[in-house]
Amino acid sequence: MSAGQTQPKPANQHLRRNPPIVGEAEAIAAAQAGDEKAFETLYALHKRRVYSLCLRMLGNVAAAEDLTQDAFLQLYRKIGTFRGDSAFSTWLHRLAVNVVLMHLRKKGLPQISLEEALEPSQEDGPRKDFGGRDLQLSGSIDRVTLERAIDDLPPGYRLVFVLHDVEGYEHNEIADMLSCSIGNSKSQLHKARMKLRDLLRAGQRKESAV
Amino acid sequence: MKTTRPCEINMNCADFQDRLPELFETHADLSAEEHLKGCENCTALVRDLEYIAQQAKLLLPIHDPSPTVWDNIREAIRNEPGQNQGGSPPAPSAER
Repeated sequence: MSAGQTQPKPANQHLRRNPPIVGEAEAIAAAQAGDEKAFETLYALHKRRVYSLCLRMLGNVAAAEDLTQDAFLQLYRKIGTFRGDSAFSTWLHRLAVNVVLMHLRKKGLPQISLEEALEPSQEDGPRKDFGGRDLQLSGSIDRVTLERAIDDLPPGYRLVFVLHDVEGYEHNEIADMLSCSIGNSKSQLHKARMKLRDLLRAGQRKESAV
Repeated sequence: MKTTRPCEINMNCADFQDRLPELFETHADLSAEEHLKGCENCTALVRDLEYIAQQAKLLLPIHDPSPTVWDNIREAIRNEPGQNQGGSPPAPSAER
C-alpha cells in the first residue's frame, strides 16, 4: 500500500464512541413536543460527555457545572430546531462548544474567537522535531500526567484534541461543530499532539532533573 | 535494516513531518515509509504521537456533574417564558 493512498478506516481501529443510542430518537421527539421527562432523559444520556468537555476546557468543577447547565438550557431552547441532519450528540456538542467559547471570551480572553482559538500564537504552537536529546518519551504516561498536559494545551488545540482523540468524533463532525474546514481540524489535531509531546517531554525533563 | 543514528537536520525530516497528519489520517503503514528506515528521530516522533493518541482513548469521561445541576436546569426550564424555539410549548409543569 502506498503511503498516500486513502484507505477506509477499519471499524475497530478507532473505537466509535458516538453510536446511536437506543431510545434517543423518541426522547428527542418527545422533548421537542415539550415533554420535560423526555428532556431529562436526554440530559441523563448526555450529561457526562457535555460536563467532561466543559471540565477539560475550564479545569474547574464549579465553572464546568455552570456551563453544563447553560449548555442544556440552550438545548432546551433550541431543541425544536434540531432536524436530524447530524447526530444529536454532535449537534449538542456544538452548542456546548459555543457555550464554552463564549465563556472564555467573557473571562477576559477576547482573542478566543473560534478562528484564533484554532490557531494559537507561534510561541504556543508545537515545534518541528529535527532531533536532539530525549528523542522519545520515556516509559509510560499515566492518566494524571496526560490530563495535566492536556490542560496546558492552548484552548484551540485542546478542543480539537479532546473532541477527536478523547471523545472520538470524526474530523467532519468536528469541522461542523467548529465551523472550520476538515483540513483545519486535521491540521490542528496534529499540532495538538505535537504540542502535547513537547509538554510531556518537558515534564519528564523536569522530573529527571529533581 | 533500520539504522539508529540520529537524523541530521535536513529537509527530509521537514518533508516527512509535513506529510505526517495525512499519513496518520489515512492509517497508512508508517513502517513502510522509507524515511523512517533511516531516521531515529522521526521514528521516535511517530511512536510518541501514536502512543499519545492511544492513551487519549483511555480518557473516557468518568465524572458526572452533581445532581444540583439537573435541579437548577429543571427549575430554570420551568421558569422559561412561553415556549421553546421549535414552536412547541414546554411541558405545563410549572407548578412548584
